[in-house]
Amino acid sequence: MNRTQEHLDLKGRSHSLADLDAGERALVQELTDYAGCHGWNDYSNFWMAKVGEFYGKRGLGRREVLRTVVYRLAQDLDSRLAISEGLARPPDYRDDLADLIRTRFRTRREFCEATGVSEDMLSHVLAKRKHLAIDTLTEALGRIGYTLHIAPLPEAKAS
Amino acid sequence: MIPTHRDANLSDGELHSTEAWQWLDDELYARFDGRTIAPGLYEGFYRDPDTKGRVPDQSRRYIVAVRQSGVGDLRAVLALACGVFQQKCIYLSIAGQVEFIEAKPDESNPGAP
Repeated sequence: MNRTQEHLDLKGRSHSLADLDAGERALVQELTDYAGCHGWNDYSNFWMAKVGEFYGKRGLGRREVLRTVVYRLAQDLDSRLAISEGLARPPDYRDDLADLIRTRFRTRREFCEATGVSEDMLSHVLAKRKHLAIDTLTEALGRIGYTLHIAPLPEAKAS
Repeated sequence: MIPTHRDANLSDGELHSTEAWQWLDDELYARFDGRTIAPGLYEGFYRDPDTKGRVPDQSRRYIVAVRQSGVGDLRAVLALACGVFQQKCIYLSIAGQVEFIEAKPDESNPGAP
């Protein structure tokens, strides 16, 4: 992670810190320091309260707060702590698939109809019992305007 | 109570991904303005209704402040959480009254356009 200009999250996505103001930068520093010396549950309680209070004072609604870089960065630190304590695992493509279905399709059936993946197979994949072959996944995603990409694997540590 | 592992009978019994925990945080923040997580993990066991076997588990205990009018919304989040966390049901205690919230098959996704 470049501490001044960008934050690379667990999924390899870059979050620019360049547009953060002084208050937000101070908050990021406070969150990072706290994550470096506390356990997962402690930090989970700390960051959500801090970030909520910070943006609440600035008049942001909750849905707006969810979209801030600071919220996403704070949450990424939370995830890294969970992994470092052996209480969670990094996401894989099946988590992305589940997220895609939750946010872009009204039901699993709708996703299956759009992609050609059988409902039975999807059920197994989302339950982590089976994998989709890479060519099947690529073809299915292509039908709905998505594709796969390879990303660098970030370190799991929170600090 | 959210178990730290997926149901071994329904799924593979492995740890949840960070995506699942993030999803729960987002939902609780957006709908209820936050949550508190009790210190430590809660160790326990239950009898699986399908396999009849004894299943040990460990869970994170979430505390959410909800008005009476928001209890239905909380139940709806937990029904979705059953799918996200691959659980047959999720333990919910409201003012000491215990409920087990089950997943609803192929429920409409509230986040979808």
